[in-house]
Amino acid sequence: MPDPINTPTSTQSTLQAVRFRGGGFHPRRHPWAALAAFALLIALWEGTSRVGLASPLFLPPPSAVGRALAGMIADGSLWLNLKASLLRIGVGWSLGTLGGLTVGLLMGVASVARAVGVPLVSAFFPIPKIALLPLFILWFGIGEASKFATIGFGVFFPTVIAVYSAIDSVPRNLIRMAQSFGLPWGAILRNILLPGALPGILAGFRITASIALILVVAAEMIGAEYGIGAFVLMAGNLMQTDTLLAGVMVMSALGLTIGALLSLLERRLLVWR
Amino acid sequence: MSIARWTRRTLLQRTAFAGVALAAALAVGPQPVAAQTLDKASVGVLALSSSGPIFIAKAKGYFEREGLDVTLSTFTSAQQVPVAVASGDVDFGVTGLTAGFYNLAAKGAITMIAAQSRDEPGFPLSAYVATNAAHAAGLAKPSDLKGKRIAITTVGSTFHYMIGILGQKYGFTVKDVTMVPLQDVPKMVAAFKGGQVDAILAPSTVARQLVADGAGQILGWAGDETPWQLGALFTGPKTIQTRRPVVEKFVRAYKTALAEYHAAFNVKDASGALVKGPGYDALLTIIADATKQKPEIVAAGLPYVDPNARLLIDDVVNQVRFWQSEGQVDKALDPKSILDLSFIGQ
Amino acid sequence: MRLLISDLTHRYDDLTVLDRIDLVLNEGEVLAVIGPSGCGKSTLLGIAGGIVAPSAGRVAVDGPVPDGCLNPITYVFQDFALLPWRSVEENVALVLAHHPLPAADRRARVEEGLRRMGLWEFRQALPKQLSGGMRQRVGIARALAVRPAILLLDEPLSALDAQTRELLMDDFLDLWRREKTTALYVTHNLDEALRLADRVVVLSRRPGRIREIVTIEEPRDRRLAPAAQAHLAEVRARLWHLMKAEAQMADREIARA
Ligand SMILES: Nc1ncnc2c1ncn2[C@@H]1O[C@H](COP(=O)(O)OP(=O)(O)OP(=O)(O)O)[C@@H](O)[C@H]1O
Ligand SMILES: [Mg+2]
Repeated sequence: MPDPINTPTSTQSTLQAVRFRGGGFHPRRHPWAALAAFALLIALWEGTSRVGLASPLFLPPPSAVGRALAGMIADGSLWLNLKASLLRIGVGWSLGTLGGLTVGLLMGVASVARAVGVPLVSAFFPIPKIALLPLFILWFGIGEASKFATIGFGVFFPTVIAVYSAIDSVPRNLIRMAQSFGLPWGAILRNILLPGALPGILAGFRITASIALILVVAAEMIGAEYGIGAFVLMAGNLMQTDTLLAGVMVMSALGLTIGALLSLLERRLLVWR
Repeated sequence: MSIARWTRRTLLQRTAFAGVALAAALAVGPQPVAAQTLDKASVGVLALSSSGPIFIAKAKGYFEREGLDVTLSTFTSAQQVPVAVASGDVDFGVTGLTAGFYNLAAKGAITMIAAQSRDEPGFPLSAYVATNAAHAAGLAKPSDLKGKRIAITTVGSTFHYMIGILGQKYGFTVKDVTMVPLQDVPKMVAAFKGGQVDAILAPSTVARQLVADGAGQILGWAGDETPWQLGALFTGPKTIQTRRPVVEKFVRAYKTALAEYHAAFNVKDASGALVKGPGYDALLTIIADATKQKPEIVAAGLPYVDPNARLLIDDVVNQVRFWQSEGQVDKALDPKSILDLSFIGQ
Repeated sequence: MRLLISDLTHRYDDLTVLDRIDLVLNEGEVLAVIGPSGCGKSTLLGIAGGIVAPSAGRVAVDGPVPDGCLNPITYVFQDFALLPWRSVEENVALVLAHHPLPAADRRARVEEGLRRMGLWEFRQALPKQLSGGMRQRVGIARALAVRPAILLLDEPLSALDAQTRELLMDDFLDLWRREKTTALYVTHNLDEALRLADRVVVLSRRPGRIREIVTIEEPRDRRLAPAAQAHLAEVRARLWHLMKAEAQMADREIARA
C-alpha cells in the first residue's frame, strides 16, 4: 500500500498531525535524582554555615559532622559503638520476632487465641516502651538482658499484628483447595499459610526493623557504656552537636542498610509476585 | 535558622505566658510604678528551689524596682536553659553546671556572671546512698565508693563531677569506679532497688525516700564531703555588650533577693544549727508556690547561696579541668574566659 | 464410582440455598449442572466434595476406589487455585506430597499429568508467567495426578476467553474419551453443557431445586457432526426454555435486593 500521508492525493494544507497526548503518569526510575537532591541539600547546608546564616552550634556544617565522623572511625569508637548496638538490635529483634511469629501464627489459625490475643495486643502495643524502662531494670537488671527486652517487646507486638493479618490475607480458596486434596493440617500450614503470609510478614519486618533501631536508643538509656544510641545520648548531654549529628548519620545509614537488605530479601523470596 | 528560631520563639512565648501567670499569682511586693518605662528581660529557670532567689526577686518586685520587666520561662531540664540563652530565646539563665554547659560556653555562647547555689557543709542536697547489700559488705563511708558501681544520670552531669571531686579528695579517679548512666532518677532508683548497682548519688528527697523504704543507707552528703559550685547565673556575651545596664540592674535585683534568701535560710547559730531568719515563712511560701512543692519538702532541701553571689572560682576552674581530663570539654577552653564577674565586683 | 445425593438441603443462616436435592451421578457419566446465578451450584459441588457441611441430607459414594486413586473426589476450580509461589510442577507435586509414594511414582504422576496437558516444557514456570488457559491446564494436571474417581468442576472455563475455552473443551473431550472419569460439571454456559455432558441438570432459582434433568442422546464425539445438529438444537431450545424464566426472575430478585 502506498504511504497515504506522503501521496499527493491528500490535501496537504488540511493535513494535521495527531498530537501525542498520552505521556506522564507512569513512574519511571530516576536513579540520579535522589543523589543529586542529596548533594544539593548538603551543599546548601554547608553554604548557610559558611556564609554565617546558621551558627555552627545550632546547625554544625556537614564538614564538621564529617570531621566528627572521621574522628569516630579513626579512634575505633564507631566500630565499638556499632558493634554493641548491632548485637542488641540483632538479639532483641530476633527474640521479639520469634515470639511475635509464634503468637501471631497462633492467633492467625486458632480463633480462641485470636479472641484472647487481639484485645491484649491492643492494650499493650501502644504502651511507650520508654515508660517501662524502670520496670525492665527491675525485672532484667541493667545488663544486656534489659536492652534485649526493650527492643524485643517493641518488636513483638507489631510482629504479632503483621503475622496474623498476613495469615488472614492468604486467599481462603487455596486452603479449600488443599483440604479438598486431603492435605493434613501441618502441610497446609507449611505449604500454604506460611508462604502466603510471607509478603505481609516481610512488610512487618520492615516496620519492626525501624522500631528496633528507634528503640536501641531507649535501650541504651539503661547504663550502656557503648552503643550508637548511648553515643548519641551522650553527645546530646554534652551539647556536642557535631558529634550528635555524626551519630545520627550513622543511625540513618544503618536504617538505609537494613532497608536495602530487606528489599534484597523481598526480591529473593517474593519473585513469584 | 531564622525560621527554626521563629517557631521556637512562639513556643517559648507560651512558656513565658506561664511564667507571667505565675508572677501575677506571686505578686505580693510593690506594684510597678509605670509599666511602659520598664526594660524587658527574660530569665530561664527550672522549677526547683535552687532557683529560689529568682522567684523571690520576681515575687517581691525587686526587678521592677530596678526598672526591669522580667519574664520567667520555666524549663524542664537543666540542659535546655543554657541552650535557650545561647539561642537568644531568653536573656538570662540559672542552672547547674554540667559538661554540656561548658561546651556551650566554650563556643562563646554564654558567660557566667554570678553564682547560684553551691554544695556547702551542713546543707544536705545530694547524698551518697548505698544499697543494703553493699552496706553490709562494707560500703560504709563515701571514701569506700572506690571500686564500686554507682548509678548516675548521664555522663557529663553534676553527679558525674561529684564522683570526680570525691575521688580527688580520697585519691581515686572516676576510672576506679564503674559509673552507670541511666538518664534519669526513676531509672537510677529502679537499678538501685533491683540491686544492679552498689550505690547512687541522689537528690535529698529521693535519698530520704530510699532510706524510708528500707532500700538503702545514706553514707554522707556531697556538701559535707566536697563543697563545690553547683550553679551559676549566666547570660549571652552579646547581652553584656549591647545591654550592659540591663545586666547590671538584673544582677542588683538578683543580689538583693540572694541576700534575703541567705539571711532567711542559710544562717547558723553558735552551735552550728540552722536558724530561721527574717521572713522565713513568706519566702518559703514563694518558693513552694513557684516549685509547686509542699513547703516542708522545700524546707528540707534548700541549698546554700553566697549572699554576695560570689562564685567559687577555684572550683569552676577545677570543673573545667576535670571535664577536659575526661575528654568531654574542649582542651583549649580557658575557664577564666567564660567568666565576667565585674557585675558582682568579685 | 457413583455419587449419590439424597434429600439435600442447605441454608446459610436464614438463606435457603438448596432445597431437597436428590441426584445420582453414575459411573463414567458427565453430568452438567446449570442454573441461574446464586442458585446454589457451587454450594452443591462443595457439599458433594466434602468441603461444605450440608444442613440436611446425605451424600455418599458407591463402588470401589480404583487402583492408584489417591483422592477419589477431586476438584477443578474456576479460579484455578494455584499457589503463586510454586512452579507448575511443584503445584502438581503439592497434592502428592502427603501420600506415601515411591519417589519414582511421584515423579511419574507429575510428568504424566503435565505431559497430558502439554505443560511439560513449562514445568518450571511460575503461575504468573502463564496465560489463563495454561493455568487451568495446571489445575487439571494437578487433578489428574491423583487419578480421581470423580471430578467436580466448578465453572472451570468461565474465567477464560472464548478461543481458550474451545481449546480446553477439546482437552476435556480427550480426557473423557480415554479415562471415562465420572464428572459433575457446573456451568453457566449452555454450549459447554451441550458439548461435554451426558445429562444436564437444570436448577431453579434460589432456593435451588431440580427443575428437570435433560438427557443428550448424541454421543459426545459426534456432536460436531452435521447429523447431530437437529437433536442438539432441540435440547438447547428445551434447556433455554427451562432456564430463561428462572434467569429473568433471579435477575429481578437481585435487582430488588
Ligand atoms: N459462605 C456463605 N455464607 C453465606 N451465604 C453464602 C455463602 N456462600 C454462598 N452464599 C450465598 O448462597 C447463594 C448460593 O451461592 P452459590 O455460590 O452456591 O451459588 P452459585 O449458583 O454457584 O452462583 P454463581 O453462578 O454466581 O457461581 C448465593 O446467594 C450466595 O450469596
Ligand atoms: Mg458458583
